[in-house]
Amino acid sequence: MPPSDGIALLKTTLAMVLAGGQGERLYPLTRDRAKPAVPFGAIYRIIDFTLSNCVNSNLRRIYVLTQYKSISLDQHLRLGWNIFNPELGEFLYTIPPQFRTSETWYRGTADAIYQNIYTLEQERPRRVLILSGDHVYKMDYSRMLRFHEERDADLTVACVEMPRERARQLGVMEIDADARIVGFEEKPADPRPVPGNPRAALVSMGVYVFRTETLVRSVVEDAKRNTAHDFGMNIIPDLVSRGRVFAFKFHDENRKEVQYWRDIGAIDTYYEANMDLVGADPLFNLYDRAWPIRTYQEQYPPVKTVFDGEEDAGRPLLNSLVAGGCVIAGGVVERSVLSYGVRVHARAKVEDAILMEGVDVGRGARVRRAIIDKDVIIPPGCRIGHDPDHDRRRFTVTEGGVVVVPKGMPVD
Amino acid sequence: MKTILVVDDERNLSLLYEQELGEEGYRVIVANNAKDAIDHIEKTPPDLVVMDIRMPGMDGIEAMGRILSRNNQMPIILNSAYSSYKDNFMSWSADAYVVKSSDLTELKREIRRAFERREKA
Repeated sequence: MPPSDGIALLKTTLAMVLAGGQGERLYPLTRDRAKPAVPFGAIYRIIDFTLSNCVNSNLRRIYVLTQYKSISLDQHLRLGWNIFNPELGEFLYTIPPQFRTSETWYRGTADAIYQNIYTLEQERPRRVLILSGDHVYKMDYSRMLRFHEERDADLTVACVEMPRERARQLGVMEIDADARIVGFEEKPADPRPVPGNPRAALVSMGVYVFRTETLVRSVVEDAKRNTAHDFGMNIIPDLVSRGRVFAFKFHDENRKEVQYWRDIGAIDTYYEANMDLVGADPLFNLYDRAWPIRTYQEQYPPVKTVFDGEEDAGRPLLNSLVAGGCVIAGGVVERSVLSYGVRVHARAKVEDAILMEGVDVGRGARVRRAIIDKDVIIPPGCRIGHDPDHDRRRFTVTEGGVVVVPKGMPVD
Repeated sequence: MKTILVVDDERNLSLLYEQELGEEGYRVIVANNAKDAIDHIEKTPPDLVVMDIRMPGMDGIEAMGRILSRNNQMPIILNSAYSSYKDNFMSWSADAYVVKSSDLTELKREIRRAFERREKA
């Protein structure tokens, strides 16, 4: 395809980022913020990965559909993503529910689009790229758009191979030799294996390219039925049986041996995905200049480590991500992710933990396998993540054994 | 007997509809603006709505959105003198789009079809 066609392809595509889910399985991290606005990887918010994919794909016409607890998400987008030039036809706008064709909040992903048909009418794109604001991955969407056009598809669904046990939580598809989807099932009890690999299934990444007319007809018809109003449960299975629906195999710009795509649905997934960043050879690479991940960065002084003369203050920082303004004053931090302005005092030890902005770890405190949300002050000598029974009485502890201390919670 | 609510600001046209659809065996109720139509549907829901688009005050497309948000099963047929709204995505929620004509054959056919679809479902 000549370059000019490539540009036309991007200019006639509209991206709609679904950012309105309640994120109940991420509670209490979503107590005060929308899931896409949950801090991730020391300086990012989860939505930055999807938006960076858009910009790195040269797709610069974006609507973000917000809903619950959207203040911090909205602020983040205004401060960090105000980089589009409307004079060149580029934009990023957030749209809260308009109650134009409905008197309810979004009842599902398909309903979120149905309630925004007016926006599609105003923009009249040829195709719509539907994205989620809570996935971590690197993808060049222009490859998928080209694939969609070449197949003259009504719908193209991005897919990735996944171990079958994890596929039970996702949409699983079956394809023929031409990559046409011939079967699609959301959250199947027994996911159908990929031919030639009985342990893997082909799952939907929640990334869809629709011919605009197909999308509008599908969501309009769906709105008249009493369904879950969900793309995976209702729209895709329905279209598979009567339209041209293709699977686009994920081409990972992360360029590691194993493809990286994570749906940050639950706290354990969130925790693991953060930990995927801290290894010596991390599973997910934030340092590739060819695929920059953009965010909003506040002004902070440089990271400081202080040796206070005590014996065990030898290696203050190991295998960790540390944002600006952090001061490690005689404590030790290992395999952890620290957001802006965290303080770790003398003889304190932080291991395998995520500490969000402004957390203060007191002298001699111990934190292990924990997520400490914003502005929590951990008093001197306090232990978190060392005594599961005691932790369960005070905090949320996940199935995977990760302790979560909610934002601003007083700890004693 | 099925009840059809005709929403149209042109009284003469409403009269024509009342007469012709009545002869087809429907009970016809008329509202001359969208707001009255919504109020009426709230109190006594008809079996189908024939909705004009261009009317003083609220237009028919907006009214259709409000009606469907309260009852997503309500059959609505958009009926306009203009064909230009037909491509508007907002009008795609309607069961059918019929361009106004003194000959009501097409409108009657679409009404029958809408009822048949509901009976099948």
